[in-house]
Amino acid sequence: MSNLHNPASPFVPFSPNPAIQSGVASPTTPLSISQKTPQLGSSNLRYASSRKSIYDRHLNRTQRSELSKASFAFLFGEMIQYAQKQVSGIQDLEKKLNIQGYSIGQRLLELLLHREGRSAKRETRVLGILQFVAQTVYRHLFGKPADGLEKSRDNEDEYMLIDNDPAVNSYISVPREMSQLNCAAFVAGIIEAVLDGSLFPSRVTAHSVPTEQYPMKTVFLIKFDESVLERESVMPNN
Amino acid sequence: MVILSILILNKAGGLIYQRDFNEGLKKLSSNDYLVLAGTFHGVHAITSRISPVPGSGGLEVLESDQFRMQCFQTLTGTKFLVFAEPHQPNIDVVCRRVYELYADYVMKNPFYQIEMPIRCESFDRHLMAYIKPKQ
Amino acid sequence: MSSTKAARIGEEVWKTRIDKVNAELVTLTYGSIVAQLCKDYEGDYMEVNKQLDKMGYNIGLRLIEDFLAKTNTGRCINFRDTAETISKIGFKVFLNITPTVTNWATDNKQFSLVFEENPLADFVELPDDGRAQNELWYSNILCGVLRGALEMVQMQVDAHFTSDVLRGNETTEMRVSLIRIIDDELPPGDD
Repeated sequence: MSNLHNPASPFVPFSPNPAIQSGVASPTTPLSISQKTPQLGSSNLRYASSRKSIYDRHLNRTQRSELSKASFAFLFGEMIQYAQKQVSGIQDLEKKLNIQGYSIGQRLLELLLHREGRSAKRETRVLGILQFVAQTVYRHLFGKPADGLEKSRDNEDEYMLIDNDPAVNSYISVPREMSQLNCAAFVAGIIEAVLDGSLFPSRVTAHSVPTEQYPMKTVFLIKFDESVLERESVMPNN
Repeated sequence: MVILSILILNKAGGLIYQRDFNEGLKKLSSNDYLVLAGTFHGVHAITSRISPVPGSGGLEVLESDQFRMQCFQTLTGTKFLVFAEPHQPNIDVVCRRVYELYADYVMKNPFYQIEMPIRCESFDRHLMAYIKPKQ
Repeated sequence: MSSTKAARIGEEVWKTRIDKVNAELVTLTYGSIVAQLCKDYEGDYMEVNKQLDKMGYNIGLRLIEDFLAKTNTGRCINFRDTAETISKIGFKVFLNITPTVTNWATDNKQFSLVFEENPLADFVELPDDGRAQNELWYSNILCGVLRGALEMVQMQVDAHFTSDVLRGNETTEMRVSLIRIIDDELPPGDD
């Protein structure tokens, strides 16, 4: 872990603060209390004078808001069709969807940790972070926890998160000639970003394992980076 | 309620879906189904023109000793034809529900191309799950 | 249809017949799409606007069936009726908002939708590159949706944003103009 604080390390944890992201320590400048409008760096953006800026509106405002599932389905469908035009194979398509999900996961992680407030804790163990994904992340996105979490019997570094009926795939029928495709690669990208952002670098992929009862059943295969297992092995057992 | 068969016609009268749910109707060749769809589309258009009532919606019900056919045309011009046993009431409820399933599992499927034949496994599955318990 | 009746139907359908998801999932998903387009078109915002409109058009062609199937709406009697239906039922059931219908042209063929809320743009700030605020219409997909959906019920319209709070304007406003009724494609018996 020590190399995280080494300025020479190329690895920079994600942070919304641009000064932290670029790896440069910023001198703290005291904010003047008399300032009414936020002066964010040298922003040239115009703001509507009659409205609150996004910095003034409460971040939890939309926490429990709902929109129609149809709206999501139509947007997701366009995302898939757009990605499909740019790629040649199913793997590439899944990669594109993963990337789109990834950018969402990065934002979501910050948002969820912010909302946990004082009770937020930094997960240091593999099981802890997997629970966070299966419970907190899943509940927030889909209104229910994941249906299962299993450790691979064959590979020490692999875990499986199970969703019997992924909400993102509800209305999708994959054509027979593309049967390997699972559009929940998008969700895999979200999970991957949450794990990466929590310093559990991993690779996450979505796989269809249809059963009689759950024809859309999906397994997210989580393969942790070697460094995660190394760290885990030196952590105290408690 | 016994539903014998469901057909879906696109705006141009092309057959984009056909499925039997029960014995009772003669099986036709796929070409004959296309002809049937096209013919019905034309007859439907003519009936709306010759109707003495202004603004008539065209042929809605066709009844014989063996079956009752109900046509439900959406505002976009898509037609749902439901064949059932004679004297079945409330077929319009079935039509509307099938339309909803179509909106969900056909229209929201990014791999479905509009106006083309419907090959959507989820649509088949949900249609079956809706029709079967009624039999 | 009166405005209040449309509002009642919209509420009723939204409450009882619509499957829902977390709003932030939708907001973030749309954001991810726009950001990807901006990247792929290397900051050519005019092209991004065009692509968003195209995507919206594709959605509109499909969404209209969902709208009709879920809301059981009949054919509108005139364009004013259409405007109320779009605002109070359409936007309500898909985005849980009801933009204000206003600024009618004297020939009743043009109106504006003014958005007090816009869930697609929640928590959004445009890139501070000196161009995005002048060129990008962030929610342009909505214009395409209206164009596509109305075309399927035989109305050819033009829809475009005239202002957006994301650009620093005081309001977010979309102008919708009826170009023509597509008579020749009216389904038989529906004229």
